[in-house]
Amino acid sequence: MSALTLKNISVAGRLQAVSLELPAGALVGLIGPNGSGKSTLLQAAAGLLPVSEGAVSWSGKAVGEIAIMERARRAAWVPQEAKFEFGFSVRAVVQQGRYAHGDDEAGVDEALARFDLTELARRPVNQLSGGERQRVMLARAVVTQAPLQLWDEPLAPLDPRHGLEVLALARELAAKGGTVLMSLHDLRVAHALDLVVVLARGGLRALGKPGEVLTPELLREVFGVRVRTADGLTLELP
Amino acid sequence: MTRGASQPWVMPSLIVALLGLVFISLAWGELTLSPAQLWAGLNNTDELARTVLFQFRLPRVITGLLTGAALAAGGLVMQAYFRNSLASPDLLGVSSGAAAGAVSAIVLGWTAVALWVLPLAAVAGAVVATFAVLLLAKRGASSERLLLAGVALNALLGAVTSYQLSHGVALWERNSQLLFWLLGGLEDRSWLHVLAALPIVVAAALLWPLGRQMDLLSLGEAEAQSLGVDVKILRRKLLVLATVLAATATAVAGIVGFVGLVVPHGLRLLVGPEHRRLVPLSILGGAVFVLACDLVGRVGGNLRLGIVTALIGGPFFLWLLRKRA
Repeated sequence: MSALTLKNISVAGRLQAVSLELPAGALVGLIGPNGSGKSTLLQAAAGLLPVSEGAVSWSGKAVGEIAIMERARRAAWVPQEAKFEFGFSVRAVVQQGRYAHGDDEAGVDEALARFDLTELARRPVNQLSGGERQRVMLARAVVTQAPLQLWDEPLAPLDPRHGLEVLALARELAAKGGTVLMSLHDLRVAHALDLVVVLARGGLRALGKPGEVLTPELLREVFGVRVRTADGLTLELP
Repeated sequence: MTRGASQPWVMPSLIVALLGLVFISLAWGELTLSPAQLWAGLNNTDELARTVLFQFRLPRVITGLLTGAALAAGGLVMQAYFRNSLASPDLLGVSSGAAAGAVSAIVLGWTAVALWVLPLAAVAGAVVATFAVLLLAKRGASSERLLLAGVALNALLGAVTSYQLSHGVALWERNSQLLFWLLGGLEDRSWLHVLAALPIVVAAALLWPLGRQMDLLSLGEAEAQSLGVDVKILRRKLLVLATVLAATATAVAGIVGFVGLVVPHGLRLLVGPEHRRLVPLSILGGAVFVLACDLVGRVGGNLRLGIVTALIGGPFFLWLLRKRA
């Protein structure tokens, strides 16, 4: 059974009749030009945006039929940009990910360590840099232990090393049977994921293995770029 | 600076301060009562002390502490709701709405019909103002937008009140009654006002368990929803509670400014932003602040409460704006 099913969903003015199924245990990239509906699709998939048509289901169950508290245990969503008005500590914000689990502290310290936040644990979140804020939001999503992880451009504000670490963690989650759907702009990164979803002008353009989907013709048509293979800079975790 | 430190002394200090202020407010006045006389008055064994306490000082003190608790808690709720630490009932025009409602009810003669008309009119005015703010400034709106919406509403509702005032210059007695709502104060408060202020106790009790959800909401609506908070229901509850708190306070004490801004903000600086602590602390802190300001006003030669809170809160607000800039 697919972990995430979108059946013909539309959001007025932003998404048109998108249908897709993602299997459990996949690390999926969501790509498309600016304004193609990536953030809208992620929010709709997370059950946070009412769809004007169609249905969203997780593991075969319609999101509308799942209680809000239970939804928080099944899917986690990370916004593109977090705004913090109040100075909660980094640790307190990450711990909020446990709200639907009786507000306990399971896995919080591990997540802080994993996202390189242990030293910042007591700092107020409204004094962090963009990349640090992003890591806080990702850590909060991961401590929910939700099998479906929906991340909106998690890599954009991160430095190369933290970006690679987040990718490595996403791989681990997928290897354990979770499903990670993340929007991103770096097509070279997308090329290395299990699956890619390509959006264009609010509609689904393609879905499949990156090697098969990301053809020069599609990249030219959707993104208006030409592909040239060359030996460039390649970054890896040491 | 590391915020969110535990600072366990804050709650006991506020309780001690509150008890001290209640004692001084009851004992001190034109007729100053010794502790023994105070006790005798409360025990019904000293006739004069009894009259002074039960006729004048007790209702004033109780109305004052309920008003302060309501305004501070109302401000705290609005700040979480709008995700903006500059939101408060008076700055957003909700207090002005309540005053305009109350004043209109007096001018139209409705208050003569029944005692509950006045507080109800205040609530109605506050509800109208709240909806206007919601229309003008979306949640999570920038401070500029939120404050400008408040400026516009305060001007508009102030005009409604001023019109009522200027329209009936001949009716001196009525106008002094109207002026009361504009300046805010605790003079001549009676047990009727205490009774009218009782919804504050109910609203505060209902607010108490919502602290944790307010934490999540104050960092974003979609985020809170994704973490398991039923945001729609929570928002509705908070809006009703904030309106009832601000409107009831205004109905019994007039427009008392800056309490909803100064108290939650000061406490947030002391103990951090966690609402499970801020809700009870704001309730206590608001009561302490208003009783202290009332005492300062009485010592300073019957300065109205609203004037004292503005004299203290105004500079604090300016300091806050400067700090944020």
